[in-house]
Amino acid sequence: MHELYLAESIINIVSDHARRDGFKKVNSILLSYGRLSCIESKTLTFAFEVQSKNTPAEGAVLVFKLMPASIHCFSCEKDLEVIAHTGICPACGGAEVMLTAGTEELQILELDVD
Amino acid sequence: MKVTVVKNVLDANNRIAEENRKLFDQHKMFVINLMSSPGAGKTSLVERTIVALRDKYRIAVIEGDIQDTFDADRIAKLDIPVVQINTGGACHIDGNMIRETFPAFDFSKVDLLIVENVGNLVCPAEFKVGENIKVMLLSTPEGADKPAKYPLMFQESSALLINKIDLMRYVDFDLEKAKRDSLALNNDLKIFEVSCKTGTGLEGWIDWLTKQIDAFKK
Repeated sequence: MHELYLAESIINIVSDHARRDGFKKVNSILLSYGRLSCIESKTLTFAFEVQSKNTPAEGAVLVFKLMPASIHCFSCEKDLEVIAHTGICPACGGAEVMLTAGTEELQILELDVD
Repeated sequence: MKVTVVKNVLDANNRIAEENRKLFDQHKMFVINLMSSPGAGKTSLVERTIVALRDKYRIAVIEGDIQDTFDADRIAKLDIPVVQINTGGACHIDGNMIRETFPAFDFSKVDLLIVENVGNLVCPAEFKVGENIKVMLLSTPEGADKPAKYPLMFQESSALLINKIDLMRYVDFDLEKAKRDSLALNNDLKIFEVSCKTGTGLEGWIDWLTKQIDAFKK
């Protein structure tokens, strides 16, 4: 989706923390997002590398934690992990399916700093 | 040393969208974020909606396009306040672009604000602008596979208008599949089959929208 915008937003958040907490270097940034939230981690990493030059975030490695997507099927009452959301239950083929996880927006969880 | 942060990276936009929403609430303005592919008929729907509802509500429009003022010119001909946002390459409208249009409007004289987003089935669904509802169009020449290919917008929308229903027999559009796949993604989605060219089916959309606006204003 908007990896340049996301990279800029990550750099702003990290810079705020660097100013407040006075750390010199960010070794890594732990991020999480849902499998179905349309985030391209490779594109984001590239955008981040380019945009973080001369900011407190420069040189930090982005570490991604992918949150699984899952559905609940009202026909067979199963909760299942899925790779894509098609609205069809992979177990019984039923169409009364609700997406229960997988669209979580990109979050910063943790920074490793010196 | 580890520092726990836990911060949503889209927060900056969400926060602006919430501020917009507060301002809209103060003026009891109902706001629609209208989304579709390019050429699905968003501006035609806006024109039809204005003509149907202009006696009942005071309407204003924000037009989003990469460049040009073609759409805003169409709306201005109806004598409705309209601002054109040219995103200059950005593929969606975000909360901040909407905020920048505010000086151009007198919100005390607006009941219904329609934001026509940039034609794109992907990104507009991810950026809130402060709307009450998201509404999307899918036109029959685009094909019935779109819900399966671009699920997010179908999940996020309150209403789906299947437009150019008058062309269906020429373009091999599987209406039942489109409806079935859309509802599978979003059980609460309200679907209307319309033609913004001939006017077919638009009364259902207008009735539904009127109910949403009146319920909000109460």
